[in-house]
Amino acid sequence: MEITVWSGWLAGLAIGLFVVLHFWLIGKPAGCSTGYGNVCGYLCKNMSYYQQGEYSQRNNTKLWFLIGIPLGGLLSALSSPEPWHWSFDMGMYDEILPQSSAAKAIWLIFGGMLLGFGARLAGACTTGHALVGGAMMNPPSLLAGGVFFMSAFLTTHLLFDL
Amino acid sequence: MKKESHNKPLFESVKLTTISFVYAYRSNILGLIMGITFGFLMSRAGATTFDYHAEMFLFIDMQLMKVIGTAVVVAMIGVYLMKKYHVQAVTTGMEVDFVKKPYQQGLIAGAFLFGIGWAMTAACPGTVPAMLGEGKISAIFTLTGLLLGTMAYGVLQSFIANNGSYADAFKD
Repeated sequence: MEITVWSGWLAGLAIGLFVVLHFWLIGKPAGCSTGYGNVCGYLCKNMSYYQQGEYSQRNNTKLWFLIGIPLGGLLSALSSPEPWHWSFDMGMYDEILPQSSAAKAIWLIFGGMLLGFGARLAGACTTGHALVGGAMMNPPSLLAGGVFFMSAFLTTHLLFDL
Repeated sequence: MKKESHNKPLFESVKLTTISFVYAYRSNILGLIMGITFGFLMSRAGATTFDYHAEMFLFIDMQLMKVIGTAVVVAMIGVYLMKKYHVQAVTTGMEVDFVKKPYQQGLIAGAFLFGIGWAMTAACPGTVPAMLGEGKISAIFTLTGLLLGTMAYGVLQSFIANNGSYADAFKD
């Protein structure tokens, strides 16, 4: 699936302005991974952690933000030259990932679990820590952002170079 | 209690209902619009294209590095100006809350695990839903894993909060 991609500077400018716009409209920092906690609260009614504290009010802006993201991706794909279709093509990753579809699915689920668990343990994801936390120059966020990049850098080199 | 009714014409009744609905749910509606914008921008920036992730870490194409670098600098200037002029937020009517994520125990370990997941799936929690919207099948599996991982953290925290007792961890 070929998506039209803007130049890095232009897309970066747009995302930077987006972060500021989010602050102005919503009044809070933008974040993605906390919304997954709201979804877990709905999926598992008797799990106490996702029912209390910041998750006591689950039908909030963060959940609706999360629901909006696939619609944005859909809009972007529909406005690209290639017609919309399902695809399991992963580009460069097809060479290094397991070859059968089932093994690829298991690999991705395991990677996703690391993302979900790691994001909650670190408190936020790339958006909350690296992007918005970096913009606020919050020391824990800068530390987390640095570790995100270092660890992904090392793993990518292990996957592609060995 | 007697149910109150009104004698407004249909058009005005619909109009008033819509206005009050939009007003009551204004922050959620704005959140939805923000989410759509975010998904669109992530997609246009190339953050949903697998190859850009590998190429950034292998120093072949710095597209995503340019994106995040420019975005952080632009947002930093914006945050500075908003703080300086004490800008009010639209939905809350109060001054923008620049609440910072605190340091928490396990931050480094969590960030390390997150990075491994990032390299394995070429995705992060913000781009996975956008990939799903683009019709990438891999996003279905990554999203499943993401929810399982978030769930696992909830189980762990419920377990700790209840002093390691299974019996009370899943009671509400």
